[in-house]
Amino acid sequence: MALVKLNDLEVEVEDGTNVVEAARQHGIEVPHYCYHPGLTRPANCRMCLVEPHVFFPPAGAIVPDRQLATGCTTVLRTAPPDRKLDGKYDFIVYTDSPRVKKAREDILEFLLVHHPLDCPVCDQAGECDLQDYSYRHGSDKSRYLEVKNVPPKKDLGPDVLLYSTRCVVCTRCIRFCDEVAGSGELGLINRGSHDEIDIPRSHEGTPIQLLDNKLAGNVVDICPVGALISKDFLFKSRPWFMDKANSVCSGCSVGCNITVEYKADGVYRLKPRFHEDINQHWMCDDGRLGYHYVNSDDRLQLPLKRVDDELTPTHWADALTVIQEQLSEVTAEDIVVIGSAQATNEDNYVLQQFAHDVLQTTQLGLFGQLPGEAHKFPQFTIEADKNPNTAGARTILGSANGNVVLEDEALWEKVSNAKVVYLVSGAPERPLEDAEKAALESVEFLIVQDVLPSEVTQLADVVLPGTTFAEKDGTFTNSTGWVQRIRKTIDPPGEARVDWEITQQLAKQLGGEMNYHFAGEIALAITENVPGYADATHQNIGDAGIKLT
Amino acid sequence: MIKKIEERRILYEHLDVPDINTFDVFRQYDGYTRFEKAIAEYQPDDIAKMVMDSGLKGRGGAGFSTGLKWSFVPKDIKPCYLCCNADESEPGTFSNRYVLEKNPHLLIEGILICCYAMGIETTYIYIRGEFTLGKKMLDAAIKEAYEKGYLGKDIRGTGLNVDIYSHPGAGAYICGEETGLIESLEGKRGQPRNKPPFPAVEGVFMKPTVVQNVETLCNLPFIVGNGVEWYTQMGPTYADTRSDPPTPDPNTGTKLYCISGDVNEPGVYELDLGLTCTELIEVAGGLRGEEVKAVIPGGSSAPILTHYELDTRLDFTSLTLAKSMLGSGGIIVMNETRNIVDCLLNIMKFYAHESCGQCTPCRWGTPWVRDIVQRIADGNGRKDTITRPKFGVAENGRWGDTGETEDIYEDLDLLESVANNIANVDTMTWNTICVFGIAVSWPAVSYLRKFRPEFEAAIREGKLVTLPVAEATVPPEENYAYQQRFIPKEFADL
Ligand SMILES: Cc1cc2nc3c(=O)[nH]c(=O)nc-3n(C[C@H](O)[C@H](O)[C@H](O)COP(=O)(O)O)c2cc1C
Ligand code: SF4
Ligand code: SF4
Ligand code: SF4
Ligand code: FES
Repeated sequence: MALVKLNDLEVEVEDGTNVVEAARQHGIEVPHYCYHPGLTRPANCRMCLVEPHVFFPPAGAIVPDRQLATGCTTVLRTAPPDRKLDGKYDFIVYTDSPRVKKAREDILEFLLVHHPLDCPVCDQAGECDLQDYSYRHGSDKSRYLEVKNVPPKKDLGPDVLLYSTRCVVCTRCIRFCDEVAGSGELGLINRGSHDEIDIPRSHEGTPIQLLDNKLAGNVVDICPVGALISKDFLFKSRPWFMDKANSVCSGCSVGCNITVEYKADGVYRLKPRFHEDINQHWMCDDGRLGYHYVNSDDRLQLPLKRVDDELTPTHWADALTVIQEQLSEVTAEDIVVIGSAQATNEDNYVLQQFAHDVLQTTQLGLFGQLPGEAHKFPQFTIEADKNPNTAGARTILGSANGNVVLEDEALWEKVSNAKVVYLVSGAPERPLEDAEKAALESVEFLIVQDVLPSEVTQLADVVLPGTTFAEKDGTFTNSTGWVQRIRKTIDPPGEARVDWEITQQLAKQLGGEMNYHFAGEIALAITENVPGYADATHQNIGDAGIKLT
Repeated sequence: MIKKIEERRILYEHLDVPDINTFDVFRQYDGYTRFEKAIAEYQPDDIAKMVMDSGLKGRGGAGFSTGLKWSFVPKDIKPCYLCCNADESEPGTFSNRYVLEKNPHLLIEGILICCYAMGIETTYIYIRGEFTLGKKMLDAAIKEAYEKGYLGKDIRGTGLNVDIYSHPGAGAYICGEETGLIESLEGKRGQPRNKPPFPAVEGVFMKPTVVQNVETLCNLPFIVGNGVEWYTQMGPTYADTRSDPPTPDPNTGTKLYCISGDVNEPGVYELDLGLTCTELIEVAGGLRGEEVKAVIPGGSSAPILTHYELDTRLDFTSLTLAKSMLGSGGIIVMNETRNIVDCLLNIMKFYAHESCGQCTPCRWGTPWVRDIVQRIADGNGRKDTITRPKFGVAENGRWGDTGETEDIYEDLDLLESVANNIANVDTMTWNTICVFGIAVSWPAVSYLRKFRPEFEAAIREGKLVTLPVAEATVPPEENYAYQQRFIPKEFADL
């Protein structure tokens, strides 16, 4: 720990922390553009200038250092005993001295000379570091009278647009592609004030390589201004009109921490949220752009039942009654209950409790998205398992005495011999192989709980409309054993309900005793009954998650 | 009457000998004997000490003590590299070029001595891309030196290995800056690095690297060959009184002064350090024209000198005290016909084009400065309609209200302010990554302050007006007093 005099505060910071971070830890803003904690530090924007004070032997006193230093590259460390300042400080630095304030104002003036000042039509307005710092540290007028550079707008790749006029040439995007993605699509062309970010192009200007790596969307997040823009989000909403909730990506078993940004009418975008051990600052584009099905017009909104071979809308009471009738005609051995690697631990817990206690069957299965491709980048990995909760579902479905969790061939074998199957899917896009289809077709009465019409719902006798990750609270367990929370953002469409509530309703219909009121209550039951989850209350998990031991 | 000053040719002594670029002729003129002497008579550390004692200062621009630079190189990290800076691109500078084109073996000998002293086995010569002839001659000389066994493995049976690679630049002034050069050499965009770490600690391929100008290296054979005592006789040694007791501040050796502009015989002159401007103009065949209006003493980055300052001695220390610099030794003389606004415009066009664009103040400030000067030169400079109290040297001799009023030239205030925001010439502080920033604001601010009447005239008249020298120049006392008010108290004694 280094003892630092930071303005008029006396603070302790860990050795190796830079001034920007040390100040941030103590609620002091040191404006910066090029510095990003997940990337190398070129110190090129010069926005983070601070004033170190040093011992000046001829004067025998501590004086402001002649040159200001860049806070991003000024690293605080414990000084040897004979080099302490004022007898105790390892470092003295001011972030608010008159010189620092003047330097900030000067840098901001330079940053704005060629800037189009088009905030009213800029997507970034409201979350733009240039806008914010200009308000807080800049001048209120411009002294620039000359002609502004107007470099062209560029289409860099599938989801990324570059408004070159707004670029402050901090090179974060270039460094991201070099260091994290490792594919290096971006670079600078031209020189000096004509610097432009670009992708490799032929002499005629046709792209040779697009910015199309699977992490490309992150450059939009880290661009401190409105230069890099997501086509998916372009002109959809002002950032301040959206609510935000901390959640976890459901795209694969990595379990990237995310923020879901939403309004009453749907989810608008997903942004990565820092987690040191899981995704650092990043997420992949599959996850980022994978939320669209939540807002789909095709979402299942009412329960459906098969009438004259047609799935027709009905109401909940009717659907549950139909199911009750069917279940009362078969014995426990003829029933298979299938949980989902897409559903939360809470959903699966209630489901297995229903199977075990009410239906008294121990025949459980696990359904989910088919494995896809894994992608490895220098500083990021996308997993092949495209389900967020395979690990959690497996443990929890199998947690009650005697439960067997069948998967793959064993499961379909079992299904083909069953009379009634209750399948919680949550993976509507999953294609069915012929054998799987045949197995499901052979079932006398198939109950499917899903969010969108799918190959599985096609075969169902009753369809129950469930919910996506954006519409419920709960927890996922990722491939490395982190249990993390997702949070309800928007209401489910129509009559769709949270999956565990549907299961609980069904249990009640069949005379079972189950009375959970919210997901956290189920999590408490999990802590008592599932090995390894003893600490996994929602409160403990919080925003950072907990790692299973 | 000015006494006749003779050139003292040391580096350039044999420059005009036919075929001196070949090994055999070079050998006839003591070629490589100094290197052989170094190996035979001295230990590497002795050479480093000789260089330190000789007081040799880098000739590339910064004027940093070469011996001191070598002492910063960690001895325990290998490999260590030597980078010879032959990117000579400072406007007004053309001395390295003749060495490369005419006497490349001298450079190779200097490199060998440096390599021996520092235990270096690999040298890169970063040569300006436009020097096609220089590169051709240099490459031929390198090839010959390999053939004769003066380069390569086990040089002349001494166990010393030295390889030299010559690498052409791709046309960027900023690749002359040592870390820009290193980046470019490594195959990256030529953008200077943040310092520290300095190249002496982390340079080429993140290994310790000595970066040295061609002229600096060419001094080494003579220091070794003729001894430190002989070398230190040339040029003045001052006393640095900032330390107690005062330390010697050597400006030893000769300098290849590149004299251009309004003189009768422009060219490179090798002279002892410490001559005055007036003497130098005389050496170069005298002034062309009626009177000297201004002199650029050290390449276009250096603050300009007025006719009041012609007695300034052209050495590192004297020019620093005169708030200018010897820089690369590129001296440009201007006579009464030159318009200073126009000169500044020319220089600012160069810098705006050459900024590497890496850091904010320089990337966007330099073209802005150029545009303001352009506007003034075009006759579109702004002048306010109101006046303000005139500040100047008041009765007590200090800066203060003179009781008069003056016009407000908005664009001149703006020009000075923008230039100082890139790098402040009064406090010598800069917010940029490299000192290119100060190379921009130094000329901008010094031209403006020292020749302000000409800038004002351009705005007033709406066109470029060349004033008579006496009218165009601000007297030094006034300029000095003006500068003093910008220097914060806490810096006054630093
Ligand atoms: C903008 C800029 C341009 C420079 N250009 C050159 C150059 O063309 N040639 C050169 O030798 N040094 C140049 N320098 C100086 C080098 O950075 C460095 O100080 C020098 O090569 C060190 O060698 P020396 O100690 O032998 O002078 C330049 C410096 C700056 C800041
Ligand atoms: S980048 Fe920022 S300052 Fe620029 S237009 Fe967008 S919101 Fe405004
Ligand atoms: S596009 Fe954005 S991230 Fe990239 S250099 Fe410009 S401002 Fe920085
Ligand atoms: S000061 Fe200018 S030349 Fe130097 S690094 Fe910054 S932008 Fe490049
Ligand atoms: S954040 Fe420190 S220089 Fe850019």
